[in-house]
Amino acid sequence: MQAGVRTGAILPWILAACFTVVSAHHSTTEFDYSKEVTIKGTVKEIQWTNPHSYIQLIVNGEGGTETQWSVEIGSPSLNINMGWRKNSVKVGEVVTMNLAPARNGKPYGTLRVLTFADGQKLEGVAARVGARPGGAGPAPSAPAAPAASKEP
Amino acid sequence: MRAYRVGLRLCVAAIVAGALGTGSNIGAAGAGTDALLGVWVPDTTPRALLTSRGGTPPLTAAASKLYAERRQRLSKGDTSFDPTTWCAGPGMPRILTMPYPLEIRADANRIAFIHGWYRWFRIVDLGAGTADPPLPLTMGFPVGHWEGSTLVIRTAGLSDATVMDASGLPHSEQLKLTERLRVLPSGRLEDRISIDDPEHYTQTWETVLTFHRDTTARVTDDVCPDRMAGGEPAEQVTRARTTASRTTSILPRAAAASANSVAPAPRLAGIWEPKTFGIMVPNAPLSSAGQDFVSRNAAAMQAGKIMQTAWVSCRPGAISTMTMPREKIVVLESAGEVTILFEMPRMVRRIRMNASHPQELEPGYVGDSVGHWEGDTLVVDTRGFNGYAELDARGQPTGPRLHTIERFTLSADGGSIDLETTIEDPDYYTKPFTVQRSWKKSPARHPFEYDCMENPRQEDFENAYYVRERYRPICMRVEGEGMAPSKMVCRRPQ
Repeated sequence: MQAGVRTGAILPWILAACFTVVSAHHSTTEFDYSKEVTIKGTVKEIQWTNPHSYIQLIVNGEGGTETQWSVEIGSPSLNINMGWRKNSVKVGEVVTMNLAPARNGKPYGTLRVLTFADGQKLEGVAARVGARPGGAGPAPSAPAAPAASKEP
Repeated sequence: MRAYRVGLRLCVAAIVAGALGTGSNIGAAGAGTDALLGVWVPDTTPRALLTSRGGTPPLTAAASKLYAERRQRLSKGDTSFDPTTWCAGPGMPRILTMPYPLEIRADANRIAFIHGWYRWFRIVDLGAGTADPPLPLTMGFPVGHWEGSTLVIRTAGLSDATVMDASGLPHSEQLKLTERLRVLPSGRLEDRISIDDPEHYTQTWETVLTFHRDTTARVTDDVCPDRMAGGEPAEQVTRARTTASRTTSILPRAAAASANSVAPAPRLAGIWEPKTFGIMVPNAPLSSAGQDFVSRNAAAMQAGKIMQTAWVSCRPGAISTMTMPREKIVVLESAGEVTILFEMPRMVRRIRMNASHPQELEPGYVGDSVGHWEGDTLVVDTRGFNGYAELDARGQPTGPRLHTIERFTLSADGGSIDLETTIEDPDYYTKPFTVQRSWKKSPARHPFEYDCMENPRQEDFENAYYVRERYRPICMRVEGEGMAPSKMVCRRPQ
């Protein structure tokens, strides 16, 4: 498996409000929604939990290096409504994940789209959050909460 | 902003409809309802469940191996297979084995079990048919009916993240529970539980738990992370089985029996969901102390820190539901009390009708609420807050002198509730001010479940700003290197 990383701007999405309300906790400072990262790896663990669900992904890099990514995918009640089921992703499965990375540069991010080996896709919570063109932070349609607040 | 609000409504309507489905409630208060009502204390709190004949549960070979591994860990003091270790949900039937009282309340359509551990509750729907769980929850989706004076509860949709008892007895998500509750001639409450889990057990088996009434026992405002921060374990195994009373939230004993009875003409009873949202309280008349507080929060956020409020740190807080209503609420009405059970943050509010506040109030997250009706408006006066709650996403503070007056007004068609809250807090605000929010009838048969403590990820706290020091977490999930699994790490309180 190879890790492929690309960075670029994404278009704003007007559904940021849904995310803000439905997601139990969310930090708009933890992730840089103006960037995207694509990783491919093997699912190590699925945490189907509140306030956030996570997938731990083992990604093989150049020279045999192995990196574990923590990818927030949403929350159980939100993901159910986005088409997920608890067993949608299985431990040991190879998947590709497109995500908004953490601002701190660590292998950590929030999922936009997960693509299975057969090409089927599932959206993550970050698919509902846009970015200001050329800048970081929540989409303009998000409520006027301070950018660094962690919404309840 | 308008578009945002419309989007929110559409979004949440879709989510509610999709996740929960719909169902009609058929009034079905049974002959045994009144006998079940009130506070019960467990006769025994078994650390390891046995069958009703005293035998070992009939585990499959694979489940037996898993159970043996957990018991081995338990012998070394490792209880991390049990989510209660870090204050996450016990699930069923684990919560019935904990040394805490439970209170049963009811109306014509549902029965609420309000547990003494960390404000957990479960709502038994008395409507027809069976539940169709969209995803497993720790308390599942219980549906009940009466067979004479026996309440029969069938529960499906139980998450396998929990254990059956403190020894780690496992179950899968195929688990289906059938409980038969009745009051025995001795006056004890018997819960005869049939356990059907073909993945983990070779046959259906039964266990029996019994409870007794205790006039000194109360279900209190237990907040597990606060107890852990005070150096106590998440589950007080050695505590007295009767919890000390919290004088601000109880009914006078003499009035309790009749006051608990189902209200003859309930007005607000039912399941409701937010009609309007708000995460900000604009134009609150902050005093200089209040402004200083908010400015400190803003400075920390501008420095890139993640603000941790009471809500985010899994504390309840009645005031936050008045200003930031989220998810569903269940309202039960009896002659003496209106009970509101909140999905998020999980919380139980008790509104004593036509009563007055005690002279000495013990400060708490939900305060002491008394109410009365003015026509179709329920007026609720609440005092006795502890100052550990914020009004909104900016972290606008509250103090212990906070005083709220809520006016719940039912719409003419009965389909919505307008809530106007007047907030008075001389510690942080120069004058009283009001906040308006609305609720609408929910088609859901059950509230959903929001267990804030399930996954306290380390990443969430690495760059945190704690509005109050109390909100600092005790336990965090730390990811293992390579293929080593993640683990929950709890620090010793300072």
